Amino acid sequence: MAPPPVGVQPVFAALSDPTRRQVLSLIGERGEASASQLARSLPVSRQAVQKHLASLAAAGLVADRRDGREVLYRLTPAPMSDAMSWMASVGAQWDERLAALNRHLSR
Amino acid sequence: MNANSSEILLPVTPEEAWEAVTDPDQLGEWLGDAAELDLRPGGDLAIEVAGEGERRGFIEEVEAPRRLVFWWSSEEAEASRVEIELDPEPGGTRVRVVESRPLAILDARGIEIGSWLAGPAGEPPAAAPELRSRVLALAG
Repeated sequence: MAPPPVGVQPVFAALSDPTRRQVLSLIGERGEASASQLARSLPVSRQAVQKHLASLAAAGLVADRRDGREVLYRLTPAPMSDAMSWMASVGAQWDERLAALNRHLSR
Repeated sequence: MNANSSEILLPVTPEEAWEAVTDPDQLGEWLGDAAELDLRPGGDLAIEVAGEGERRGFIEEVEAPRRLVFWWSSEEAEASRVEIELDPEPGGTRVRVVESRPLAILDARGIEIGSWLAGPAGEPPAAAPELRSRVLALAG
């Protein structure tokens, strides 16, 4: 089934929120995960994870399927997990740049 | 620590932090060896990154002294989007940076980047019409 049409903004909003990025990274690592499984690895409640999953689904970045009593989530487009691991590597570069910025301003 | 975002508390006011992230001379002190930028939506930027060469791009959003969003790319690399946010805190200013590559994701989802970020009250942003071609042109 074709994904529902969504705008650019929900995708950027999803990628801009640190908890949602963590949710995406975790799903990417595991392939598939339920809200309860994700909540065990995050400092937020299952209800909060559920809300983040709903906005990720609305942005078309995750899809779900029912497995018995559980709902399992997975990343939708293939580039998604590449994009998440790329973000982690450039994050390390920004840590260094921000340290340099701090040194610059502390002079 | 949050996944994939970087942050630091700087011992300065938001205005001073804003200067440090937007003034070409100051950018040349910490982000690269030299920087040029035209600080307005759609304005060009060029930053000489030490040991890596030049990155070129343009500015998407400017909201002094809180938020700066730009796109940049080095030769042959896919363009990426950098969001910098400044928040006053006791003791200084918190800076958060997220760099992402939304284009591949948007393409995979069949989302037209030309339907760019309608601003407040649905106003199309200044950079809207040519945004996609500019993003694609960044990768050369």
